[in-house]
Amino acid sequence: MTLISDLVSASAHLHSTTDLSDEDHDHRIRDCVAYFRQLSSTKALSSVADDETLLDHFDPSADSIAYLFILRVQIQTSQERTSEKLPTNLRPMGKLWSRAVRFLKKFDNIHIRYAGQEWRQLIEVVAQDHLRYFLYGAMVYMALKQWRKSSHFLEVVISMPTTSVVSMVMVEAYKKWVLVGLLEKGKLCSPPGITSPHVVKMYQSLARPYITLAHTFERGDMSRLRAEVDAAGEVWCMDNNLGLVSQVVNAFYRHTVVRLGRTFAALTVADLAKQALPPSTSKEVAESTIASLIMSGALNATLLHPPNHVGPTMLRFTAMPSFPRLSDEVDMQVQLKGEQQSLETLMGHLVESNHHLGLSDEYVEYVHKGQGWVNSGDVNLTEEDGFDMDEDIMGDP
Amino acid sequence: MELLPLSTEQLSKLAASNVPPSQLFEVLSQYEAEACLIPAEGDSSQTDNSGLELLSLFYSSFFLTHLLTDQIPEARALTKRMPETLRNKDPSLQNCLTLLRAVWQTQHDQVYQILRRLPWPEALQRLVQRYESMDLFLPAIFQSSTDISSIGFFQDKSLVALSHSYEAIRPATAAGYLGLDQKAAENGDPNIITKFIGCGWTWDPETQLLHPKPIAVPSPHNQTTNGIREAMAMLGNRAG
Repeated sequence: MTLISDLVSASAHLHSTTDLSDEDHDHRIRDCVAYFRQLSSTKALSSVADDETLLDHFDPSADSIAYLFILRVQIQTSQERTSEKLPTNLRPMGKLWSRAVRFLKKFDNIHIRYAGQEWRQLIEVVAQDHLRYFLYGAMVYMALKQWRKSSHFLEVVISMPTTSVVSMVMVEAYKKWVLVGLLEKGKLCSPPGITSPHVVKMYQSLARPYITLAHTFERGDMSRLRAEVDAAGEVWCMDNNLGLVSQVVNAFYRHTVVRLGRTFAALTVADLAKQALPPSTSKEVAESTIASLIMSGALNATLLHPPNHVGPTMLRFTAMPSFPRLSDEVDMQVQLKGEQQSLETLMGHLVESNHHLGLSDEYVEYVHKGQGWVNSGDVNLTEEDGFDMDEDIMGDP
Repeated sequence: MELLPLSTEQLSKLAASNVPPSQLFEVLSQYEAEACLIPAEGDSSQTDNSGLELLSLFYSSFFLTHLLTDQIPEARALTKRMPETLRNKDPSLQNCLTLLRAVWQTQHDQVYQILRRLPWPEALQRLVQRYESMDLFLPAIFQSSTDISSIGFFQDKSLVALSHSYEAIRPATAAGYLGLDQKAAENGDPNIITKFIGCGWTWDPETQLLHPKPIAVPSPHNQTTNGIREAMAMLGNRAG
């Protein structure tokens, strides 16, 4: 109990410092930080580390230094007591997590400049969770096949500013990001511009099999791609990326077909199967695979069966989605109609609201005041000001 | 809408109703937290398996509602959230998994077979029918293009996709995508040809080919009017 009151009174020294000179203010803050550092080094604070209500005695903005040191000790104690990397109460919504977030929202930045080292340690704990949040979010989007959103979340992780080293979470995100880029765009994308070059180099050296896989994918050689996938099988398993890699192999066929569309205007299904699909694919399977690609919107093309079963089935590529254009027009028409209906209803409501407002006490009071102004001569609302509603100004002259 | 307690009767009622899929999805989503608390480990010594039946009905109908709202990846995610023991032994959930595989792999013929031939519980029959189709080839569905709720049913969806994917198609192939009798279509069954013509497609007897007319449907992601709707709602309240 004595220690708590000592802590409260030590922190209270920094409460009313407006009358102090800058020099005295500086001394007081330094003394306060030194006091708490001494308590930390002598483990004196450990005795109160278990007291969950202790931080309730302090305001994170007025007692920033005390709050920071006590919170730090509580986090350390919590971490020491568990074999988990991250104790439950330090995870989002946990008790210490909430305290840390509250502190980071409100702390006094002048006071905390004197305890930069301790503040940085706290930030590192929270930043790890921040990265994990985006990594897990990206993984949820991967499960939903929403590659663009997943890629965006991963980019938040890989472009996190860092001084010298990258964390494991960031490397993990980079590996997944390479694969997601292949799935979405069929190529190795450039990292976000804000990622520093030395960090990109680090990623590339730590995720070499992924980079090699991406380059092989881009070259368009299926047999080499398969060889790369097999050669680094253990790596994919160890990184828990086997599922994504197998999807990359399937995506390879899709992107090859799409690439062919940039060269040819039309092809027979048999020719296309020879160039872009596995060698053993039958004509029927090839046609149904291509039809699935068109139906899913991945490929802009149409299929044509030959007349009277004579001749091959043709695939005609279209530069732009020819059929969705029609859909888009109809969509737009439907949207405009909906919008028109909404606006009509909105107008109806506006007229009704105007009517109701016209009958309200506030409006009557306002009109009354207006009349007062007219009488006093401050405001002269006359017919010339446009209040004569009888005249149809929009009508024909 | 007030949420009634989760029960087999309530689920059966919902599954048999004509509630639009999006609303059904909303209601069932709210039951999931409650369903998670029901123990899924059945005790064979006990005769009362009502908890397991309830879970089976809940997850099966929720799964089918995912399909009805065209949320295939989410349906897959749901299968991961189902209690593992129940998922591995419950016939209804096993049917759902088989159906998911066929839908995922766009194996149209298998999807129809699974929907039509596998034994689905009585309570789910209506949902299964709704997923297969409502009224295929009724041009009214496509004319009333604001009726987004009709899109997402497998047969209708396949018809729309097919109309965009082929410029000319053999009747048998088209019939295969729509779960119709392929043999009859191959022999030029006038009933089948008439159905396609009813959708605006043209039939060329010389080449024995159908020429699909692309069917346009509105995008369900129509969010541009949301702002106006909100404003209207606010004004409506204010005016009232």
